[in-house]
Amino acid sequence: MNEQEVKLSLRKWIIEKNGKIQSEDLKPDTPIIEQRIISSLQIMDLILFLEKLRGNAIDVENLKPGVFRTIDIIYSNFFKGNPNGKN
Amino acid sequence: MGRIKVMELKDYRWMSNGQSVFSGPLLQLFFRLDELFLNWAKEIKAKEFLFPTFVPTLELKKLDYFHSFPHLITFPVTLDQDEENLKRFSGSKMCNADGAIHLTKTSPIKSVLNPAACYHFYMEFQNNKLEGPLYLTTRAACFRQEKQYIPLQRQWHFSMREIVCLGTADEVKSFLSKFQTQLESFFKAIQLPIQFQNATDPFFNPSRNPKYLLQKLDPVKTEMVYDGHLAIGSLNFHRNYFGEAFQISRNGEDAFSGCVAFGLERWIYALLNQFGSDEPDWPEVLK
Repeated sequence: MNEQEVKLSLRKWIIEKNGKIQSEDLKPDTPIIEQRIISSLQIMDLILFLEKLRGNAIDVENLKPGVFRTIDIIYSNFFKGNPNGKN
Repeated sequence: MGRIKVMELKDYRWMSNGQSVFSGPLLQLFFRLDELFLNWAKEIKAKEFLFPTFVPTLELKKLDYFHSFPHLITFPVTLDQDEENLKRFSGSKMCNADGAIHLTKTSPIKSVLNPAACYHFYMEFQNNKLEGPLYLTTRAACFRQEKQYIPLQRQWHFSMREIVCLGTADEVKSFLSKFQTQLESFFKAIQLPIQFQNATDPFFNPSRNPKYLLQKLDPVKTEMVYDGHLAIGSLNFHRNYFGEAFQISRNGEDAFSGCVAFGLERWIYALLNQFGSDEPDWPEVLK
């Protein structure tokens, strides 16, 4: 999967999970946790989805603040160069 | 830096069930501190409220409180008013030597003793459409059960002053950031060593609570930590959690909220530990 495909899948997943957000309101730099587009109950689902998408596990114990802030940040933390989400 | 011996303080008495008794200059310090916080609230024209001690369980349930913090809850319990039941209680041995009471039938419990001061505001303003940001303040007696109590530092019953903002995300963030700057200057001016540190709420079974994970990933709580271990206050960004739970809206969307909280007994501990128990040595603003 290239960058565009990953971000597109992620975007589609978030819109579907949220159920209310309009597509044009979810930008690559929209803070998805701060704006509660993803709720606390959905955060584990998001982690499972990311694991499936990238094909390997995420070390939940060692996740650092901010790693899921936006679609762009999720991409750079979990798919590009820094696959463990550690800052 | 001094190391205050709390149990030897004049005008202070510790009750082993996790409560403090103040009188004399220490009680004056308590009121002066609260007045200081109240003046900060007045600077932003916050409206003051006086709330009662009990919160309805149905309201706390909206916050998922019983799931997240069962270990902290204190319930007010009353006996079932049936005369036979009261006679049974009144004629019984009632309590053990250690004070543990034997209850007969109790009435249904539909209230909780305040676990935090600011919850009342979200109940108060539920179903409201806000025309502008709201700034509010209250001081309340709060109750949190703990495994161990430490005088002035960890109490079952303690006093909390809170200043709250309900509004848009930007209004709340600017309120919190203004207060953080103001508090940093205040601590510097009175030379009280405080670090602002990210923290999480004391969730039950945190590793299994997604709310804890979320707070870790997107910190919303900043504590004012004295001497590396004691949080004497905190700045909290609730996102739109309370707005959604209590249907408070601002600009057509769930309102955001945030609060600045001050634990009065802990402030007293930090000040006495830092400056000693003699009033002439206290910072000018608290004399």
